[in-house]
Amino acid sequence: MIVKTLLAAIVAGLIAGVFMTAAQELRVTPLILHAEEFEGGEQPAAGHEEHSSLNGVSPLEKLLAFVSPITPAYAHEGGHEEESGILFGMSRFSGTLLANLVTGAGFSLLLAGISIMTGHRITLANGALWGACGWLAVHMLPALGLPPELPGFPAADLGERQVWWALTVLLSAAGLYLLALRGELGSKVAGLVLIAAPHAYGAPQPLDISSNVPAVLGAEFAVAALATTLAFWIVLGIVSGFINDRVVKAG
Amino acid sequence: MATSNVSSVSLSLSDRLVAGILALMIGGFLVFGAGLANSAVLHDTAHDTRHSYGFPCH
Repeated sequence: MIVKTLLAAIVAGLIAGVFMTAAQELRVTPLILHAEEFEGGEQPAAGHEEHSSLNGVSPLEKLLAFVSPITPAYAHEGGHEEESGILFGMSRFSGTLLANLVTGAGFSLLLAGISIMTGHRITLANGALWGACGWLAVHMLPALGLPPELPGFPAADLGERQVWWALTVLLSAAGLYLLALRGELGSKVAGLVLIAAPHAYGAPQPLDISSNVPAVLGAEFAVAALATTLAFWIVLGIVSGFINDRVVKAG
Repeated sequence: MATSNVSSVSLSLSDRLVAGILALMIGGFLVFGAGLANSAVLHDTAHDTRHSYGFPCH
């Protein structure tokens, strides 16, 4: 029964991951690729060299660049020192698909785990609400402090941002649980306090906010990222509820 | 245990705890690996996913 419950969550996550990949290819990835053209443009020497390898003079270089699983856009500053590249030499698209499947299964298991621990089932009827709360906790509320970034955007120290982001997701999830699933007035107040706390503290911000990436791209990207993740979570919640109703209940 | 197994629909309390903790641990591990792990190979593979999910990234 335990295995069945976990498998149901994983299957729901994989389905949502495939859906997310399609949505990303339509709305988000083109903006990322566009932004990467501006990334690192501040140091024309370094940036130019990187990109010139694509339209290199030598046909051999061109062939190598074509065959290589690493597109030049991946070579971010500092990435040269460590070993980098895509797992198993996959193409950029398959890497994204794999990452979406893993992320989908991961978020689905987290959602199922919360549902099991709190004793509130995810059903077909309430699946969309579960999904919407997942989106609020993981995307919308953290985005208030750290909006979805395009490559080339100015940003504060990565470690600090990751800690703030992870803590905000945890506090938002706990706050939403208190707000949505507990009846007492005190719980609702505590929930609001938990949700507001990381924003009162403030997200790590970059000192210098100048960027080569056009602001219009950034605005389009933020909306596209939040819209596609909302669709992802709603699909995830509904599919989880559907599988729970049909498969897990039947067993 | 016999009383908690009366309902075949829902899991017993201890099963619920095991299933819930397992789901949270595996899920957390997967999301961490795809979204936050500080490895160049994982970063490059999941690059577009990290950006479009709004994970903090480089």
